[in-house]
Amino acid sequence: MKLALKAAILAFACAISAAQAQEKVIRIGVLTPISGPGSYFGVMGREGIDLALEQLKGGVNGYHLQVQYEDSACSPLQATNAVKRVLDQFRPHIVIGEECSDASLAIAPILEQAKVVQLNAGSVTMKLTESGYKYVFRIFPNAEQQSLPLAKVAYEKLKARAAVILYEKTNAGNDNADGFEKPFVAMGGKVLAKIDFGRDVNDFTAIATRIASLGKVDVLPTFALEGQQVRLAQALAQAKVVRGGGGNAVQMGSIWLPYGYDQKAGQAAEGYVRIVQFDPTEKRKVVEDFIKAFHARYGAGKMPTHINAHAYDAILLVAEAVRRGATDSESIRERFSRFRDVEVATGKITFGPNGQNTDLSVIHFVETQKDLSWKGLDW
Amino acid sequence: MVALGLTLIYGVLNQINFAHADFVTVGAFTAFFTATRFATRVLGLPDTGAYLLSMFAALGAGALLGLAVNAAVFAPLRDRGDELRPLIATIGVSVLLENAQLALFGPIPYQFDSPFARETLRIGRIFFSGQSVLVVAVSAAAIAALYGFMRFTFLGKALRAVAQDRETAGLMGINPNLLIALTIVIATALAGKAGALLGPVLVLSPFAGASVIVKAFAIVIIGGFGNMQGTILAGILVGIIEAFTVQYLGSGLIDLVVFVLLLLMLVLRPTGLIAERKEENV
Repeated sequence: MKLALKAAILAFACAISAAQAQEKVIRIGVLTPISGPGSYFGVMGREGIDLALEQLKGGVNGYHLQVQYEDSACSPLQATNAVKRVLDQFRPHIVIGEECSDASLAIAPILEQAKVVQLNAGSVTMKLTESGYKYVFRIFPNAEQQSLPLAKVAYEKLKARAAVILYEKTNAGNDNADGFEKPFVAMGGKVLAKIDFGRDVNDFTAIATRIASLGKVDVLPTFALEGQQVRLAQALAQAKVVRGGGGNAVQMGSIWLPYGYDQKAGQAAEGYVRIVQFDPTEKRKVVEDFIKAFHARYGAGKMPTHINAHAYDAILLVAEAVRRGATDSESIRERFSRFRDVEVATGKITFGPNGQNTDLSVIHFVETQKDLSWKGLDW
Repeated sequence: MVALGLTLIYGVLNQINFAHADFVTVGAFTAFFTATRFATRVLGLPDTGAYLLSMFAALGAGALLGLAVNAAVFAPLRDRGDELRPLIATIGVSVLLENAQLALFGPIPYQFDSPFARETLRIGRIFFSGQSVLVVAVSAAAIAALYGFMRFTFLGKALRAVAQDRETAGLMGINPNLLIALTIVIATALAGKAGALLGPVLVLSPFAGASVIVKAFAIVIIGGFGNMQGTILAGILVGIIEAFTVQYLGSGLIDLVVFVLLLLMLVLRPTGLIAERKEENV
């Protein structure tokens, strides 16, 4: 009897072991700000990722996608600790993250050394894809890809000749500001002032007063997170600098701003011109399907933002690589580098030799109307 | 007003309250929900009335929370006679309040509009938002009321007595624990009210208070820890320095200038702008 029991236990253990050996998993580490002021990125990102995982729960090519979230808090130090922990404990094949440029830059060399792919869907700093990393891929447009069209539109379409650049004092803000200034000046425009500020600044009255004293300003390209942009737009409107406050200058923004910014800023946002990548009003089937699925999961009243969409797309891209035969980090890297026109909710993905998505075909300009709705501009 | 609460607690308790920023945030959220949900939807008040009511709600929420935290955390630790534990407890309370608010309200910033923020006052090329004027006016009134309370009322005098010498004040029939609780309630009520005033100025999230508290600490140190007049003077001074820094040096240098001033004060005049006369007990 004892012998039979031992045999049964042994057989059971062998069966579990065999099943584990056969279970094919792609492990995805997600580094995202879950705590701290940037944690709304984490909430929205997780919504997008969970939606994609729900749609892929049957597996891809026999592989199950397994995700582990780590809090990187938009901070280089915390991101460094989080990536070391996730590499050590979870042994991911790919890491998605971070949102903030400074944190993304901090984890890139660590992942490069570990030969684990980093898929970035939220940072703009040029250095991330210009530093020669082989394992870094980015679907979010970099600073140059965002700022150059802004500079061109400012000079050619808005006929702007005098600009004041407003930006947060981070790698992302600096790169965006430089990305606007150089081409704008080269075209013949003049930058009257470059005004930077920390992420802890809330009261922009003094900055708005300074801008009001600078004379005629045509455009104000602004690179900051949503909360600061709202306060900045309101202060500029009160100073009668921007159109939303009865002034003449046009405030311009980048893809940083999520959908819904205009409603938060109120009348101050009127006349705001910005580029968008994810547009919920777009008629592509992949966008409509994404929005339908998003509403089904999170409620009809909730409109997805670009942060939701980028996170969702990141998982779809991993799934696409697996569908094309990727089984580990090296093969994911190899499949990514061969991606051409892979269509996702935020556009088409074609990674260049440096890992940066080069397809900007869906990026377009919108202007905030008096009723705070968007009007697509054919620029 | 934020710095005043900090300095009040330090003056009486000789204790730095690291949770003070979170009382500001609690006040801001209380005001937000009172103004945008309760006062407008339930009571049907107009925007201005709703916002003014929300300031009192925030004041009350700050006071009640301060009373509760003191009774549950600070008072029992103080009774053990250890100075370090209450200090560390303020850090614990801060983390607790921040995360409780994160769980309750989520991390996505709220848009808190006050009717005063929509108005702009202009004097030549200088402009003020109505909210800024309101902040200054309410702060001035609160400071005057606090000054009057401390100077002319029995409770205020008793509170100053406790600040000078807790044991002797106790021998004179004053209940120090009651007065300490009152100090914390006044300070947290001020923080709550400051939250209501700053809510429409700050990016309202569970981390909103953290953005003002570092500056508040700087003001308290420049003014002299525990010195009310010095704190008020330092608050005005730092505000003026910030405005001129933005205009003539660049907004990115605000923190640099303010904290260089702080370091200079620590080196050259560690007692603060207005040195308090301290008499040794014999």
